[in-house]
Amino acid sequence: MNSISKAQNNSMQWRYFKQKLFFSTVRLSALIIVLTLGGIIFHIVFNGIGVISWDFITQYPTDSMTKGGIMPAIIGTLYLTVGAISVGLPLGIVSAIYLTEYAKQGKIIRIIKVGINCLAGVPSVVFGLFGLGFFVVFLKFGSSILAGSLTLGFLILPTIIGASEEALKSVPQTFREASLALGVSKWQTIFRIVLPNALPGIMTGSILGIGRAAGETAPIMFTAAAFFTSRLPGSIFDEVMALPYHIYVLATAGTNIEQTRPIQFGTVLVLVALVLGVDLIAIIIRSYMRKQKRW
Amino acid sequence: MNRQRKEKLIKIIFFIFALISIIILGMILFSLFREGLPLFKKISIYDFVFGLEWYPTADTPLFGIFPLIVGSVIVTIFATLIAVPLGVLSAVYISEIAPQSIKEILKSSIELLAGLPSVVLGFFGMVVVAPWMQETFDLPTGLNIVNASVILAIMAIPTISSISEDALYAVSREFKEASYALGATKFETITRIILPSALSGILTAVILGMSRAIGETMVVLMVAGGAAALPESIFDSVRPMPASIAAEMGEAPYRSAHYQALFATGIVLFFMTMMFNLIADHISHKFKQVGSGTL
Amino acid sequence: MEGSTIINVNNVNFYYDAFKALIDIKMDFKKNLVTALIGPSGCGKSTLLRLLNRMNDLIDGTRVEGEILFAGQNIYAPDVDPVEIRKKIGMVFQKPNPFPKSIYNNISYGPKLMWNLAKSDIDELVERSLKQAVLWDEVKDILDRSALTLSGGQQQRLCIARALAMKPDVLLMDEPTSALDPISTAKIEELIDELKKDYTIIIVTHNMQQAARISDETAFFYIGKLIEYNKTEKIFTNPDVKHTEDYITGRFG
Repeated sequence: MNSISKAQNNSMQWRYFKQKLFFSTVRLSALIIVLTLGGIIFHIVFNGIGVISWDFITQYPTDSMTKGGIMPAIIGTLYLTVGAISVGLPLGIVSAIYLTEYAKQGKIIRIIKVGINCLAGVPSVVFGLFGLGFFVVFLKFGSSILAGSLTLGFLILPTIIGASEEALKSVPQTFREASLALGVSKWQTIFRIVLPNALPGIMTGSILGIGRAAGETAPIMFTAAAFFTSRLPGSIFDEVMALPYHIYVLATAGTNIEQTRPIQFGTVLVLVALVLGVDLIAIIIRSYMRKQKRW
Repeated sequence: MNRQRKEKLIKIIFFIFALISIIILGMILFSLFREGLPLFKKISIYDFVFGLEWYPTADTPLFGIFPLIVGSVIVTIFATLIAVPLGVLSAVYISEIAPQSIKEILKSSIELLAGLPSVVLGFFGMVVVAPWMQETFDLPTGLNIVNASVILAIMAIPTISSISEDALYAVSREFKEASYALGATKFETITRIILPSALSGILTAVILGMSRAIGETMVVLMVAGGAAALPESIFDSVRPMPASIAAEMGEAPYRSAHYQALFATGIVLFFMTMMFNLIADHISHKFKQVGSGTL
Repeated sequence: MEGSTIINVNNVNFYYDAFKALIDIKMDFKKNLVTALIGPSGCGKSTLLRLLNRMNDLIDGTRVEGEILFAGQNIYAPDVDPVEIRKKIGMVFQKPNPFPKSIYNNISYGPKLMWNLAKSDIDELVERSLKQAVLWDEVKDILDRSALTLSGGQQQRLCIARALAMKPDVLLMDEPTSALDPISTAKIEELIDELKKDYTIIIVTHNMQQAARISDETAFFYIGKLIEYNKTEKIFTNPDVKHTEDYITGRFG
């Protein structure tokens, strides 16, 4: 009897030791991730903050982009992002409404879902090639805000569909039933009850897509981005400078790459602040909404 | 009847919009084929895929992308080796172990990491990691396979972690409780019950993470070094496919053989990632847990 | 008028995919009476209720055979618009399900979409509906407040008022008090007694006493079949079928 309980004791110790070891590894991996993020952000802020000034974000670049500001790149990124959202959001929401409200489980919906997953997996550089081959060459838009926005809009479509689907599904079925039982048509039920209640969720989810559109480089390299422009775009058929592309150009192909390092870090900081700022807002709103959930 | 016809019309319109993802995939294929396939009038598919030399701008240009494919595969494999343990373990930490407050922080960190634009990570690898690596290990260049793999892993971790986390959450509480009720420790429950049950979901996560890594452009463009040759050591430079496309498209004359070869590389890349996504989709669909009774 | 038939159910079979949930149901619902549908869970009583205003259309993989006549017209005829049917046959659900809107907007939601009404007409309709549902005195000063701030019983009466605002002929109630406390339940039962002057009410309940208290006629269902359908008094005092008696006296179910 005594020996059995002793054996059990040993075994328990061993089991807990293994658990401890495992938990330490798990915690370590979590720590590595947080430290990596922290390290990257710290590095960027530390090296970039020095050049940030009012002039930096409001002036044109000067002296072959070795001095001056990055205003046209900021404006260009805003244009492209707004353009991408105007393309992606309506398409994505309507697509998600069909999938959640109309489609019956079956072959067709399965194929559509596989299509969305595949689209989400298309590499960004392939999107760039597509934008070049389709919008710039085939539809003759030229390298332009229009071509870039369409390319980016299609790129973020799967993100927006996913976010919208989730938001639509979270609207309780009882709301739909209550409305339909009143003799309200399906379309009006969707438009008056389902969509308004899903909209906050759709928006926060889509913001993460916005961040992606603002930060992508490869899709706009051949479709919209200019090395340097001396004026702001006049129409959607003009090329623009964009922050991500500007970073790439300064870091790899600019004049005096070493000398312009501070400007490069500054530009990276502006882009990161923009993208992560937007993401952070979305994350905060979302966690607030989850706590406030009204139903 | 009139109203019903209107409803039906709305449904059809929504359906057409829901097909948008498939339509876009078709448009992508159309553009890639239209610009890329003419290459194969000039060289054979075999010479293109298995050719060992990539000299697109030589007097007698050679378009063998085998070294580019090898470059892509190598950095993807190394990135996966780094990202899978970190991603999966952090998911385990989030879903099973972490206290609420740490969970929130870690989840937000991973989401922000996913939000970092690829050009920013590429810049970080190029400007911060490469010089450090070159100096520390006394290498001819810090822009190499190891560096690119590490940065790619950082990009793949959020994908792997968040999808694995979903899979872990989906494991029914009954299984876990049954295991605890038998006197299993948390470690034993995680490794014997939870992880095996979530295996298909985790596998999906890994494949999607790999797909993300193989298609990622800016990181390999800026960090992999750009040598279009078969590497001999892990500290050699490589030129993965996306890097080649992004770097050369700007200089390739419109509809030249070089231009077509880059589009053809895009086709290869498209189908490789497509394959990854279809496999992932197949796994996640096939093993979708129907009820707590089936495993 | 009382006692004339408003809904005929003729030889109805109903399937969820391969599962036959209702078997050859034949029954007539009489105008301005309260009819209670009772039976153990899974017997098909709620399914039948949802068939009467075509709410089962919303569930994938369902199929109806036979016909259901409402005012002489088959509501499952191909040219019938389910939306039109639901306007005339309102429904109250098991769990109160007000929209996350103000009390006023909950009531006015349906009428606004249906008819072109002036603001004053809507105001009047809202007031009348809330009075019919005996909720007006409690909420007349807080019409702008979110419906979700009301108590469960108030929410359910709001849902009844919302259904009444559509001026239906029939009101279907799917266990309307099962989520409520006894006091709220009593209020709703009183309300049902009041409403039968103007409406035909069909109510599903698992509460035998409730069926006995409020209904004029009672139908007992068991595994998809209509076992017995008669005056409530008769069903609860001297049922024809042994099975019914067993259920009512609590011997099973």
